[in-house]
Amino acid sequence: MPPLPLQSDWAFVAGNLDLLLAGTGVTVGLTAASILLGFLLGFPAGAVEVYGRGPLKRAVETAGVVLRGTPLLVIIILLFFGLSVSSSAFVTATIALGLRSAAYQSQIFRGALQSVDEGQLEAARAVGMGRLQAIRSVVVPQALRRSVPGFQNEFTIVLKDTSIAIVIGLGELLTVGQNLYQGGQSTAALEIFLTVSLIYFVLTFVTNRSLDYVDDRFSIPGGERA
Amino acid sequence: MSDNGLSRRQYLSTVGGTAVAVSLAGCFGGGGGDGGATEITAGTAPGFPPFEMKQDGELVGFDIDLLEAVVDETDYTLAGWEEFEFKSLIPALTNENIDVVAAGMTINDERDETIDFTDPYYSSNQAIVVREDGDFSPESMSDLSGRPVGAQKGTTGESTVQSELIEPGNLDESNYNSYGNYVLAVEDLQNGNIDAVVIDEPVAQTFAAQRPVTIAFTYETGENFGFGVREGDDEFTQALNDGLSAVRDGNTYQDLTNKWFGQQ
Repeated sequence: MPPLPLQSDWAFVAGNLDLLLAGTGVTVGLTAASILLGFLLGFPAGAVEVYGRGPLKRAVETAGVVLRGTPLLVIIILLFFGLSVSSSAFVTATIALGLRSAAYQSQIFRGALQSVDEGQLEAARAVGMGRLQAIRSVVVPQALRRSVPGFQNEFTIVLKDTSIAIVIGLGELLTVGQNLYQGGQSTAALEIFLTVSLIYFVLTFVTNRSLDYVDDRFSIPGGERA
Repeated sequence: MSDNGLSRRQYLSTVGGTAVAVSLAGCFGGGGGDGGATEITAGTAPGFPPFEMKQDGELVGFDIDLLEAVVDETDYTLAGWEEFEFKSLIPALTNENIDVVAAGMTINDERDETIDFTDPYYSSNQAIVVREDGDFSPESMSDLSGRPVGAQKGTTGESTVQSELIEPGNLDESNYNSYGNYVLAVEDLQNGNIDAVVIDEPVAQTFAAQRPVTIAFTYETGENFGFGVREGDDEFTQALNDGLSAVRDGNTYQDLTNKWFGQQ
């Protein structure tokens, strides 16, 4: 078998780096918006699953099970072609990724909240705090610290899953890459895949390092490490 | 890459179900849109040179130029292009994200059940592409027996492999490699992992001009490409057909085939 054609087309990749970087911008924007939406919905959902009761708790749990059990591709296609939540591919992809991420994040926060010792809540109540205030001032700050590692995972997952938005034509990083080598000008398929992978890696690495820093910065001084 | 984990059957049932839901929604929505609004949006799937592809970030190709020329002949104006994966085009059309599909789409009965087509604007046969410097030069489909053969998933090239080679028992199922797109199939041909690729003739000519591959022979399928339009959008379909014949009657059609396919 002849060796892989690795030597040829790096110049083509370099010449189109501006397009790849524009696609990277879309990927970063989509990831940030989706993670934010996922947090805004996922954190309350996690709290409801731990402290809630009755129909609200059951509704949140059911929504989570459905969203976690549905392939992201199906969620995106249903939202875009079925429910037509927005004519903008970016908005639709953000909602799809955000909802799915909310379902995952709710479990990260549920685990973190449950990991805080019951005695802490009792102690807070004993010094005269109300239940809600005790949760907010004593349990949540500790739980948030402990959710950083799980959150790092979730970030990485959302970042790479943005590429599924290709199905509704969103021009994110992988779409731009595919368009480049499918344009009939180049044989640089492998070179483009490697470049795109490298960009994903850099994005993941930088964000994970930043979150490591956050984790260290806010770790409980002198106490147990989350 | 464009294969995202759903089997073809799962995909079809998902999209089929969606299409039903969408058509129902259309009934309640009152549809129409004939109130003088004559702006239309076209949809395509880049990655099919020379019909449609991205070059330097710009959407270009035969379909792009031809549809724009055709629409120019009508009372409609083209608001712009939307890009999708090929398999998302029909749902996008039925869901009114786009009004016309220009994506080298072969007119066939299966698609005709869901959408309508304009008159054919291009005829394509399947080309069997092999390595330029290889010693394998088949002359008919039967010569491909026992050889590893590739095609793009979901295309008429794949249908040809299925109906002409696998179903008659001339090719073992395991000898057929299915790819997410043509480029990867041709790459694998160059690497020597497969011995032949079955693709649309004009696309094969583009590859043959740019890479160390050559067309061994062509297989006549009598395929016709048409622009896809929503079912029942008869006025618009008629306008496109009139535009198409106007473009064919003048020099434009010839100019465009010369530009994108070389001399034909």
